[in-house]
Amino acid sequence: MSSSEVLPSVPGSVNPARRGGGWDLLGSEISVLFRRRRTWAMLVAVALIPILLAVAVRLSSSTLAPGEGPPFLDRVTQNGLFVGFTAMVVAIPLFLPLTIGVVAGDTIAGEAGLGTLRYLLVAPAGRVRLLLVKYVGAALFCLVATLTLTVSGALIGAALFPVGPVTLLSGDTISVTESLLRSLLVAAYVTVSLLGLSMIGLFISTLTDVPVGAMAATIVVSVVAQILDVIPQLSWLHPWLFSHYWLGFADLLRQPLDLGSFGQNAIVQLCYLAVFGALAYSRFVTKDILS
Amino acid sequence: MSHNSVKWLPAFLVPAVVVAAVIAVPLQAGAAVDLPDKTPEQVLLLVNDSTVSTFSGTVVQSSDLGLPPLDVSPGMTESMQKSMTEGAPKGTTDGATAVSSTGALTTALDLLSGSHEFRVFIGGQDQSRVQVKDRLAERDVVHNGSDVWLYDSSSNAANHLSLPTDLAASAQAKFTELESQLPTDLSTPSQLAERFLSELDPSTTVSVGTDARVAGRSVYQLVLKPKTADTLVASVSIAVDSETGLPLQVTVLAEGQSAPALQVGFTAINFAAPNTDLFDFVPPAGATVTEQALPAMPDGATADHAGGRSTAAGEVPVVTGTGWSSIVEVPAAAVPAELSKNLMVEQVTTAVGGGRALTTSLVTVFLATDGRVFAGAVPLARLQAAAE
Repeated sequence: MSSSEVLPSVPGSVNPARRGGGWDLLGSEISVLFRRRRTWAMLVAVALIPILLAVAVRLSSSTLAPGEGPPFLDRVTQNGLFVGFTAMVVAIPLFLPLTIGVVAGDTIAGEAGLGTLRYLLVAPAGRVRLLLVKYVGAALFCLVATLTLTVSGALIGAALFPVGPVTLLSGDTISVTESLLRSLLVAAYVTVSLLGLSMIGLFISTLTDVPVGAMAATIVVSVVAQILDVIPQLSWLHPWLFSHYWLGFADLLRQPLDLGSFGQNAIVQLCYLAVFGALAYSRFVTKDILS
Repeated sequence: MSHNSVKWLPAFLVPAVVVAAVIAVPLQAGAAVDLPDKTPEQVLLLVNDSTVSTFSGTVVQSSDLGLPPLDVSPGMTESMQKSMTEGAPKGTTDGATAVSSTGALTTALDLLSGSHEFRVFIGGQDQSRVQVKDRLAERDVVHNGSDVWLYDSSSNAANHLSLPTDLAASAQAKFTELESQLPTDLSTPSQLAERFLSELDPSTTVSVGTDARVAGRSVYQLVLKPKTADTLVASVSIAVDSETGLPLQVTVLAEGQSAPALQVGFTAINFAAPNTDLFDFVPPAGATVTEQALPAMPDGATADHAGGRSTAAGEVPVVTGTGWSSIVEVPAAAVPAELSKNLMVEQVTTAVGGGRALTTSLVTVFLATDGRVFAGAVPLARLQAAAE
């Protein structure tokens, strides 16, 4: 580490700005993340979920009976703003965790696999800062992915279906503006929901130099958590599973607004952030970086 | 090496702290509460003197009756009926539950399995709203003056009931009439409490249990313990808010089971008056709206609380025994024929000597082969004996 000044020049794939302060590092991390074709491909796929749903409903001649199909789907023909909510329900169990798994699993293991990790660790406080920067990048991806889903849902819904006041689960009706605000709140809820999984992914990523392994393991963890969540014998564990409140965003669609599960979800995610953040820290600062 | 072990410290410390916090926080919420001692009579008076008329809160109802987990997916009518029985303010319940027995059964089973969360808003005597929080759905009961709306978001259906405006007045008149029949020495609440306790005395031990905390408020626990050993009920405790006298939680314990067999209670409560907009329910556009006529109110004194069915002679349920071990016998004529053919009934009951039985940790139901139905908070053997 002390010989950082005499390190060979950084390969072209790494932005030289990465050697600057924490903010430069963060900026370059984010720009690298969002200039990746893989990131774009995943965001396009996320955006396609509501589009596919909306087009399928539009082209179908049969009307759904209330309560048929995924939640809210039968409302879509009356009000396009429901497309986003349906898409969110469909994407939360598998698709969003999948993309998070890819991004979070790649954070450290990806650099290690490419052999660029040691170039990122030239500064004395490098490892902690790098972990933080990598985590912020993954968290930002969570936000961008859920916003992409929300925005593309609202746009395709408005394009294909009439848009009007939205009926909440309680039967009360709110204006289009308020419903858009609630959509953003739902996006915020889902983003928070994914923060715990992102930290788990970051931790797993510090364990290996094989990014694919870390990605797969993160996705497996999210699936296992959801399986545990439906086993009644483990009901004592359920409130502490990071996936337990994933579909709780429905509470944001009640009148009056129910922020209870938002808070509970945030607390659970914070616990996961603390535990897996500490694990990732200990693992990463003691790791032998050979590549 | 020791340098590295210091770096590993957070990996052990942080999870330990998080786990400790997760365990300690609920314990602290239930930390010992010490209220000035009160006798059962004083607690009853506290309830009676309660002036709370507006509040909002979250209610969680959970049951652990030892029933097999069932896939109960109530259709629209059942869920509506369920909301009605659960949510309708007292007094409207009897008239509104003109339900078919199968619907009622599904409803009951849905309630008896797992836990349910409600949001309750009470804006005075004639304004209330109960929201049953289902996963990605909700059922609402809104009562505002003479209107009662039932809304089910999963079927997007709304039912409307118009209550006769003189309902409250007639109930009040009935109450005064009943009161006038009572001995005059019951005019004060304290005498009423005394009388209530002495009525309970032969069958029940009433005591004030350890003070506790429910929904963040300190409560007195009124504990009713059956004196007989012939019942499945171990005890019933009612948690009464020490400040307002509002009952906040009811817990029913069953014999031989440590987890509560039945528990209904607030997890959060706010005594501020809820926003009155909440009670102005307008069915959303696109919803199926059904107008429901209110069935004729049965005479208040003889109202059949089990259902609104007309009770002709020979169809009247008979109660044998007294107190906790009493058994209700429904004659075969009053039992709908479809009950015995219902698949759900087949599914939840087991064949026993002389018929089929549904045994839970709290209540036993025995369907005799001759069509009679027996039920009670007693062991199955007592029901079978009663059937002979």
